[in-house]
Amino acid sequence: MALEIERFLHTERLPHIWCPGCGLGIITAAFLRVVIDLGLERDKTVVVSGIGCSSRAANYLDLGTVHSIHGRALAVATGVKMARPDFTVIVFTGDGDGAAIGGNHLIHACRRNIDLTCILFNNSTYGMTGGQTSPTMAVGDRSTTARYGQVEPPFDLCRLAEAAGASFVARGTAAQARLIERLIKEGIQHQGFSFIEAVVPCPTEYGRRNALKSPLEMLDNERTRSVTQAQAVKLTQEELAGKIVTGVLHLDEDAPEFQQAYAASARAQAERAGARVQIDMTQKLPVGEQK
Amino acid sequence: MEQWHSHLLRERVDQSSLLIQGNRACALGALDAGVTFFAGYPITPSSEIMEAMAEELPRIGGVFVQMEDEIASICACIGASLTGKLAMTATSGPGFSLMQEALGYAIIIEAPLVVVNVMRVGPSTGRPTAPSQGDVMQARWGTHGDHPAIVLAASNVADMYRLTMAAVRFAQRFRTPVTVLADQLVGQMRESFSPELVGRYRLTSGDFDFTPGYIRPELAPEVRPPHILGLDEHPHVTGLFHDETGFPTNDPDESNEFLRELYNKVAHHREELCLYDIKNEGKGRVCIVAYGSCARTARAVWRLAEYEGLPVEVLHLYTLFPLPVEIIQQVARRVEFILIPELNLGQYAHEVRKMAEQWTTVIGMGKIDGTLFTPRELLDRIAELTGKYESV
Repeated sequence: MALEIERFLHTERLPHIWCPGCGLGIITAAFLRVVIDLGLERDKTVVVSGIGCSSRAANYLDLGTVHSIHGRALAVATGVKMARPDFTVIVFTGDGDGAAIGGNHLIHACRRNIDLTCILFNNSTYGMTGGQTSPTMAVGDRSTTARYGQVEPPFDLCRLAEAAGASFVARGTAAQARLIERLIKEGIQHQGFSFIEAVVPCPTEYGRRNALKSPLEMLDNERTRSVTQAQAVKLTQEELAGKIVTGVLHLDEDAPEFQQAYAASARAQAERAGARVQIDMTQKLPVGEQK
Repeated sequence: MEQWHSHLLRERVDQSSLLIQGNRACALGALDAGVTFFAGYPITPSSEIMEAMAEELPRIGGVFVQMEDEIASICACIGASLTGKLAMTATSGPGFSLMQEALGYAIIIEAPLVVVNVMRVGPSTGRPTAPSQGDVMQARWGTHGDHPAIVLAASNVADMYRLTMAAVRFAQRFRTPVTVLADQLVGQMRESFSPELVGRYRLTSGDFDFTPGYIRPELAPEVRPPHILGLDEHPHVTGLFHDETGFPTNDPDESNEFLRELYNKVAHHREELCLYDIKNEGKGRVCIVAYGSCARTARAVWRLAEYEGLPVEVLHLYTLFPLPVEIIQQVARRVEFILIPELNLGQYAHEVRKMAEQWTTVIGMGKIDGTLFTPRELLDRIAELTGKYESV
């Protein structure tokens, strides 16, 4: 499999820019295994990304790739998908890109329930710019812009996505490569907006400021903090604090998908208009129509 | 022109002439030029363009999406453009400000796109229901970094139609976003015009063909062939400086070449891009250089001046950028004064001054109260200038 995913990588662009111990590669590899597994067509599969460490993945994928501007990947992807509904469009974004600067586009993409798969790599920090506070950083964590500990509460992005109308919401971590692979696969297969939060370690910019010295330590930490939804419901609010609830957290298979709803509405309107033209023809333009 | 059954197009039942609002004429021009994708966000005084597109596009198999803000609107257009669709958005000052970063992205990835800015008085919320030309320099230099810009300015309803068509054509040919500047007056007024006559209209600068439904233009020689998502290829697109493979580069030589090529593909085609109209050519001591709504006043002055015995030429610019250097310099060499009335504090006058001041005196007239110049105001200024000259 390792060799097989190379078919979908620009190997001449490697080595990548990510730090040793970064979790982004684990998720990217899981995504490529899904591409192979689902037999997605290279020319009809488009990855749109924003700006940041996670968005740089688009530089290495041998698919249609659009490395766009900070926070706007979902908006660009909306244009691609509406123009070419036959494409499989996947958005790679990060917690800063997708939940801070791009937060408005995230909730509106969820609300529209447009058939995109959004993989949000959440490492709780701005890695590329040097480890600043992100909107998913836990209270008390340290960053280069929270030297004395973060005081703002973080987003729970999955709850946000569900509340905003996403019809498939899931979370996994880099410590659970098989799980995240399954979630990405189900997300791509789902008709509607699929939001997948991938919790990834950033040992360089996050871990070393927060007593998680090695990449392994960070992965272990993610694994031990992870609970399934079935386990989560049995825990009290206090016990849940700091836990990462994983798996498919929300699924609505009946929610109307935006592009299909748009096409259906347009078709219906065209038929109505066609009928009106016939009426106009037989009545030789009623007076009311001439103004 | 079958199937003209919707509200917008019912206005053109009789094709010889129609009475139509400027913003709707803009939408009509876009449709006639083959625009099939529109994403927008409501803003006065441009919303009627979006409303017309919302009505028309779904029934002709196109796509209309109302996005969550202007940033998303232009980004969705860029996404559609990357798949080969002709995309357009329309806005006014505040929204145009929001679009600037993405406009730079469209320029660097060479995505054809039309952005219509129906100007209102700014800055900030300003006066949304009054005309202005305050966004001229923003249209040129709004996004960061050195970049090419094609900016057209509409002065009446017919312009809204044909310059939108011209913008689509330029965007395709040069693979870059094109900005059409209108203003509240031109966008929301109603005038009669004939799309068919407009199609045969020629501007002094050349043989630009505005005929509805013209064929897709060829690329300009300097423009790299596009990579379109899904057309048997899967390109990489990035806003980073990139080489011809599309992948990022930090190489100084490649970076230099990349940006210069991007800039020059527009700069080297000034002759083709600069649309203008000149009245009383070679007969004036004063030349009024005007664009947009001010050109309406200037054209009225051209007739009145003859009656009052004042020697006035009028240069009506339809293309503001790239700068029409040649025609401005020709005029500058033969007149004593260039007078530039603008609904701003002299944004374009500065540009003209840079080009012309070695030959002539360039005088700006600025107005920012949300009203137009009257012909009398311009005539009085001209009389003052020429009179002053006599007494020297």
